[in-house]
Amino acid sequence: MSRYFIALLCLFFLIMQGMAMSMLPANLVYSDLLMTPHWILIFLLIIAIFYDKDDTYNAVWYGLAFGLLIDVIYTGVLGVYMITYTLIIYTVHGLNKWLHANFFAASLLAVVGVALADTMLYIIYSFVQITSMTWGDYALLRLLPTLAANMIFFIILYPLVKEKVYAWGEEVSNI
Amino acid sequence: MPSLFRRKRLMIVLVGFIVLVALIGFSIRDRDSLSTPEKFLQDSVGWMQTIFHKPVSLVDNTIENIQDMFGVYEQNEVLKARLSEYKGVIQENQRLRSEIGELQQTLDKSDSLSDYSPVQATVIARSSDRWFEQMTINKGEEHGVEKDMAVMTSDGLIGKIKSVGAFHSTVQLLSGFDRSNKISAWVVREDQDEAFGLIEGYDDETGRLLLEEIKLDEELKPGDTVISSGLGGVFPSNLRIGTVEEVVNDQFGLTQTAYVEPFADLFDINHVMVVDRTAETVDTGAEQEEEAS
Repeated sequence: MSRYFIALLCLFFLIMQGMAMSMLPANLVYSDLLMTPHWILIFLLIIAIFYDKDDTYNAVWYGLAFGLLIDVIYTGVLGVYMITYTLIIYTVHGLNKWLHANFFAASLLAVVGVALADTMLYIIYSFVQITSMTWGDYALLRLLPTLAANMIFFIILYPLVKEKVYAWGEEVSNI
Repeated sequence: MPSLFRRKRLMIVLVGFIVLVALIGFSIRDRDSLSTPEKFLQDSVGWMQTIFHKPVSLVDNTIENIQDMFGVYEQNEVLKARLSEYKGVIQENQRLRSEIGELQQTLDKSDSLSDYSPVQATVIARSSDRWFEQMTINKGEEHGVEKDMAVMTSDGLIGKIKSVGAFHSTVQLLSGFDRSNKISAWVVREDQDEAFGLIEGYDDETGRLLLEEIKLDEELKPGDTVISSGLGGVFPSNLRIGTVEEVVNDQFGLTQTAYVEPFADLFDINHVMVVDRTAETVDTGAEQEEEAS
């Protein structure tokens, strides 16, 4: 049952990502600093940390499916988000073994995850010549604002879903 | 046993890489239309976006309306002053239009490149990835939207249709244009013929369009208006694009490049018109009936 809830929430974030870009005040979203919302990734990282056990990989599969959805709906270049999200969630899932699952560890993993994902997207897109931004510009104008914006989202989302997700995880593993 | 696991992981990475390259290769080439699963996904997510978009835009509009109310008095004063000027312009416009109609009839030429029929649409989402300057609108193939049609707001041109689903389509904004999507344009000048050029790109740093391939002997002034010429295929002519801000010689000194400030705000967009040029598909019988009525 909880699996459907997670999928529904992901779908909700997917829609909200596009809505946020057209609805938030233009001078905030479209200043020189370019922010990219990675809300689905952040939510799935929380799932990977608190819902999945060491030997279950639900978050990775969600990453695969919703990455592909983002590709189809928002970019039109298939496969990029799909592979990036899958890989990043898998990596964070692996890293999670070495850390205690608390707020600081989770926020550290979220920062690392979002930074790696955004950088990987930049690398792939510069290979296929969708962007020609230099590394310096990218780090200053895109990576830092993106990290900041997504951390704000993480700090808002974490207290809302953490307990719930953890309870779902226990429920599934007890069956 | 561990070596088996490692081999399995290596296989997955390799297969993943191959899938990535194949998918990018499949989707990045210039496709005429989307594949059916993509269309299906785009439309179903589009419906969901519409459902969420309605209440959010209602709140958004209410706030905007309240903000507008404070400026109403000053606006009204300015508009009253303008109104008297417009009366004369309307009459002149009507006279000129009927004159053009008569002249076209004597020439037996019923369609021109500037005729178009608009499809009104609402923006329901914008690409969350900022490498892509795209947005989704709530009209698609069923409403007569086709790939490469021009998209404009009341201010001016904002982009073109990148891909179409059955009920939703994706718009590529001017700010995401590159050399693979050019617009042929005219620079309108006082007392002189129009100068020809091609909109070939967008300067991210200054937010201006690049109008290239202008002949060296053409003299452009800052403030000249740039309109679409309609010679490029699907765009009608006379769509307003922007004003010339700066003219420089290109790197080889053979042509000039003008920096064009777009009329339309490319960020704050709510309602758009998809412009369907009538020239190619015009049905002369229907056109004459319209004129007669």
